Amino acid sequence: MTKAHLNKLDNEALSALLDGEQHLTDAKIAEQDVTTFGRYALIGDAMRAQKNNNDIHIDISDRVALALESEPVYTDFSQSKTQPQAITETVQDNKVVAFNWRKPVAQLAIAASVAMFAIVGVNTLPQSNNEQQSEIPLLQTTPLTGMASPVSYSSEPALENAEQGLRELQQQRIGALVLEHQRQARVANSLETAQTNTKASEEKN
Amino acid sequence: MKVITFVLSLVVSFNAFANDTNPAKDLLLKMANAVHTRNFDASFVVVKGKTMEPYRWVHALQGDTELEHLSLLNGAGLEMVRIDNQVTYFEPQSEPYSLKTDSIAGPIPEVLFKDIDRLSAHYDFVLGGKGRIAGRAAQLVRIESKDEYKYNYWIWLDMESSLLLKAAYVNHEGEALEQLQLTHISVTEQPAGMLLEVLNRNFPTPLPNDALVNEDSTATNWQISWLPDGFELLKSDRHKLDLNNELTDYYLFSDGFVEISVFIQRPLPGKRLSGALTSGATTVYVHNGGNFDVSVVGNVPSMTAKAIAESVTRAL
Repeated sequence: MTKAHLNKLDNEALSALLDGEQHLTDAKIAEQDVTTFGRYALIGDAMRAQKNNNDIHIDISDRVALALESEPVYTDFSQSKTQPQAITETVQDNKVVAFNWRKPVAQLAIAASVAMFAIVGVNTLPQSNNEQQSEIPLLQTTPLTGMASPVSYSSEPALENAEQGLRELQQQRIGALVLEHQRQARVANSLETAQTNTKASEEKN
Repeated sequence: MKVITFVLSLVVSFNAFANDTNPAKDLLLKMANAVHTRNFDASFVVVKGKTMEPYRWVHALQGDTELEHLSLLNGAGLEMVRIDNQVTYFEPQSEPYSLKTDSIAGPIPEVLFKDIDRLSAHYDFVLGGKGRIAGRAAQLVRIESKDEYKYNYWIWLDMESSLLLKAAYVNHEGEALEQLQLTHISVTEQPAGMLLEVLNRNFPTPLPNDALVNEDSTATNWQISWLPDGFELLKSDRHKLDLNNELTDYYLFSDGFVEISVFIQRPLPGKRLSGALTSGATTVYVHNGGNFDVSVVGNVPSMTAKAIAESVTRAL
């Protein structure tokens, strides 16, 4: 079989030799070029391995070792035990952040201070009719802080999939709005003082 | 005789006029002063319905420099540091930034640390009963809205130090919606060393105030025809929301005590329902305006938020 496909190439004799179809003699081997020999041996290995579900052993450790040796050295690990600590300490000193402010937990998209409003179920409410509406429809909510587990939709099995996507969208928006409100409220005070100051100066003029 | 009565009544009315210095207001001003001059280390919790947020609040006066640190202790956290007229906010997932302002915008309304006199037009100050809060003798002061469109705010003050011990947003049925309660406070002679550390740190430079109001981006394409008395427009613009990158027309109003945000956005797909969401005193009212969605956020009753949202029309 090997013969049929490969021997057409260039070295029928070598192939036959490796497949044990020819007697091994020194003369025969000497005839062969070493690299070609290795390649043919590998091909043979591969084919036999396929048949027996075995692994092929290609030993490249020598070449890897060689390559590593010629690799340039970027870091010297042998001396690193004491130095990096000194470095990180100085880095910390330069940090802007005060106190025990730690890196935020990556999964938490929103500060816990923003109580996320999770819509659990939406009460169907009469869209404005002529009757006086004294009651305000309340979307049922569970406030969700940063600590809480993912939103639970479990309460109403009837409200599922299709509405869920929409609800998530709405929920996302509401979360964004609450956060934005909180942030904008921070500048409110300075804006207000600025406004009253300009008013006062206008009155003076 | 008549003359005497007249003179007497004059004296009495003059006395009454002189007594106009409302004791409740005095107490609040005293508290504002105490909060700015005392060295204290306090812990408090904010209870909103079923959730609870614990904070630590440290203040110091070092020479002429005021130092204040407020930090949210649960979850990813939130840190606010004030050095005199500069407040820096450290939030998860975004760069810290500073503002030029003389008070931290935390869970306590900022105006309480200042001259609350400006609220007189729309709120009454009423002295309440005495009680024991956080292990101290406390005096209740009620800030009552003159109309039903805003919540009332009750504050319990330490009778000794005038510092705040408890506070609550109370609706007009007398139910506390959001409560803030000190669990511990220690007032010291010397400022806390931990807070003095702050002076050695570098903070982001605050944006100039005029950068906050961008004249060009003023949103004028909407008309908000109803707001409770006393609310004034502080800013309006069009910008993208941080979390979901949605574009919004934005209006910020304040009456000096609470802020109201009005967002006008493109409608979400599907069946949109109008309704209110509440968490503590914060109301989010989502209104389906047909070709647009209006959302109102603020510490106001949902009826108020609803009325504002429904008053929004396209400007002609």
